Amino acid sequence: MALLEGKGVSKSFGALNAVDQIDFQIGQNEILGLIGPNGAGKTTLVNLITGVYPLTTGKIVFNGQRIDGLKPARISRLGMTRTFQIVKPFPGMSVRENVVIGSLFGKNGAARTTRSAFQEADRWIEYVNLQDYRKASVDQINISFRKRMDLAKALAMEPDLLMLDEVMAGLNSKDIEEMMALVTRVNQELKTTLLVIEHVMKAVMSISHRVMVLHHGRKIADASPQEIVKDDRVIEAYLGERYAKARRAS
Amino acid sequence: MQGERKKGWWILGVLVGLGFVVLPLFIEGYWIRVLTSIFMYAIITAALNIIAGYAGYAAFGNIVFFGVGAYTTAMLMLRVGFYWWTGALIGGLLAAIYAILLGIPILRLRGHYFAIATLGINRATEQIALDWGSFTGGGKGITLPLPKMEIQNFYAMIYFIMLGLLLVTILVNYVISRSRLGYALRAIRDNEDAAEASGIFAPRCKIVAWAISAFITGVTGGVFAYWFSFIEPATVFDIMIAVKAFVMMMLGGAGTVLGPVIGAFLIEVISETVWGQFLTLHMLILGIIMVGVVILIPRGMLSLFGRKFSLAALWRNIKNQAV
Amino acid sequence: MIANGIFLGAIYANIAVGFSLAWGVMDVINVAHGTLIVIGAYVTFILFKTVGLDPFVTIPFSMALLFLIGYVAQKYLLNFVVKVGIFLSLVLTFGLDLVLINGVLLTFTGDYRSVTPGYSGTFFQLGTLTIPYVRLATLIICIFLAALLQLFMVKTRTGQAIRATSQNRQAAEMIGVNVAKIYSITLGISAALAGACGSLISIVQSFTPFEGGFFIMKAFIICVLGGLGNILGAVIGGLVLGLVETLGARVFGTGFQEAISAIIMILVLIFMPKGIVGSKYK
Repeated sequence: MALLEGKGVSKSFGALNAVDQIDFQIGQNEILGLIGPNGAGKTTLVNLITGVYPLTTGKIVFNGQRIDGLKPARISRLGMTRTFQIVKPFPGMSVRENVVIGSLFGKNGAARTTRSAFQEADRWIEYVNLQDYRKASVDQINISFRKRMDLAKALAMEPDLLMLDEVMAGLNSKDIEEMMALVTRVNQELKTTLLVIEHVMKAVMSISHRVMVLHHGRKIADASPQEIVKDDRVIEAYLGERYAKARRAS
Repeated sequence: MQGERKKGWWILGVLVGLGFVVLPLFIEGYWIRVLTSIFMYAIITAALNIIAGYAGYAAFGNIVFFGVGAYTTAMLMLRVGFYWWTGALIGGLLAAIYAILLGIPILRLRGHYFAIATLGINRATEQIALDWGSFTGGGKGITLPLPKMEIQNFYAMIYFIMLGLLLVTILVNYVISRSRLGYALRAIRDNEDAAEASGIFAPRCKIVAWAISAFITGVTGGVFAYWFSFIEPATVFDIMIAVKAFVMMMLGGAGTVLGPVIGAFLIEVISETVWGQFLTLHMLILGIIMVGVVILIPRGMLSLFGRKFSLAALWRNIKNQAV
Repeated sequence: MIANGIFLGAIYANIAVGFSLAWGVMDVINVAHGTLIVIGAYVTFILFKTVGLDPFVTIPFSMALLFLIGYVAQKYLLNFVVKVGIFLSLVLTFGLDLVLINGVLLTFTGDYRSVTPGYSGTFFQLGTLTIPYVRLATLIICIFLAALLQLFMVKTRTGQAIRATSQNRQAAEMIGVNVAKIYSITLGISAALAGACGSLISIVQSFTPFEGGFFIMKAFIICVLGGLGNILGAVIGGLVLGLVETLGARVFGTGFQEAISAIIMILVLIFMPKGIVGSKYK
């Protein structure tokens, strides 16, 4: 059974169909890449899954339980976590304190004392290789470290499903390599299922098991990375109709 | 070394506390009352800190709970013959319930709107106290039964009660700051959306924080009623107390354990000295202090001690925050 | 009686327009706005008393003085805290309020003052309605000022700069708007409106340095009712409040009036956070 499954998921804002009748599923331990041109509805879909927006139609099932209509905090505690496109840290707190929020309020957080939560947080900070900056305040570290901190916080919540929203955005190529390695480790070592939204094609194509493509709120493709790059509709969506026609003609 | 330093601060704290305990033996009645008043402000400020400093919800009208506590105690003592402390505790409880009931709709508002809503609540509650003359005595206020003991002993007793309450409030602040609730509140203050995404049930946490804040403030109102033996709407719902508490909290450092208390002491001491010298300018100077604090040290005095203090850095900070 | 509601509403509307300007554009809740109104009243009082100027003629003077006060306050005080946080500008204006109230108190003492020009009591009959000239003039001036402000915001470059900045400060900075100056001008205008309002009020009622708090409460309520930062909303909100209060006073007696206003405001805040009319300056 799929870990996460959505059927007929739609969201309209007034007359705008941000997400239009999408069916999707993610299997245990899979890395699903989610790509599509800007405005395709990727982040909206994640917002729908995590309960930030209510669905207009459709249903979403996680671990056999229906989650559409639940509050974000409730969904997080069920084992689903996300990072944000523009990192949303807690500016008044140190890196360590940011991560401890994850270990305090994530899946197993309720049973923890503050002290053991901090120990957990330290563990995750080490996992992402940020221990030198443990006590630093958030506004003192650069974006690459902030993304890693965000990841540590997400991991501290011990999610079954982790959704990364453009986690590579704004990173230079070396950082991207490191992040890619980290994400793969998370999937292979921790057996975490992942949904990765990305624009950095080489990254998402190389680490994903399967890729789903959105365009204008609709799903236009869902296949392995190798098949996706050859898919006409995907090419058309990214590069335009004329290019796709020219390519087919050649 | 860290452990040693921390121990040093603890010992200092205990000494200061003991100092205040034995102080009444050495000073006159007037100063005992002044100190009691300072304690009271410190309690109100520290209670405000829980909702405004930790959770970041600027409850400008928090004084409403003071009034609720005061009136409850007064009426229970007068009509039903309860003891002052039973009255005060029930007053605190009612204040907490008031906070919970109001908090459910009001805590959903963000920023300015929440602040104004609390002001409106204070105003409306004050009006109800004023207009419901048959029940609350209206504008004439309520006179409580006088204490049956010699006046100097009475004032000394109140001194210790307030001191005790202050210590309890500081303890509550301390416990919260290191607990799950404390971290949840700070996360909510820093970024409520991210906090909810991290598994924090914001509405629940905020309501609990406000209820605690209201309880403490309510009990203090009850003690105040007993202390002064007379209350009226204008005094116990006085918005000036609330604003002063805000400035005290900010001056000392919002969201810290001791900051609010230090801020309260500082402002009240300054108030007392200024009052002595410049009766009419008292309020004016308070106003100037407020403006100064907001521009120069918005993070409070405690933040000044954090990093190396330099005038240049201070000036740079100010320029940075300018539009 | 409905006429009375409208007259009251006009003044309320004026208060709200000025107040909501600062709030809508700069996110500044100017608690001192009420006292700025009072200062306007005192300006008229002084000019009337000493020079014998007709109160309506003093309006430009009080507007000019208040504009200056607002401009300076924004430039040297508020501009430093606008970016930082909500409590801060609120507390700052509160401190400012204290300074202003006490400054006025020291200068003029706490005695009740009023301005009574010769034509105070005159009125004319319109059917069964008795309409005092003074109230009618007030209504006309309030509407005139609101319309003038609207024109200013839409037609002049400064007005457009203000609207642009209110929508997106960073974007405005990038296209070369001097945000600090625009903010100062905005508060200046807000204060000037307060000044005019004060001048008008001085004729209609007696006042002390402490009237400010009363006006501020009304301003809050109207802004919440009418939606923030838009002129039409403030005007409608003001009129509605004026009518509701006058009618409410008839039905419930003046006592519960305040409580009712406060409760209405809270209910609106909860259920219609954008207000009855709408949202920010567009």
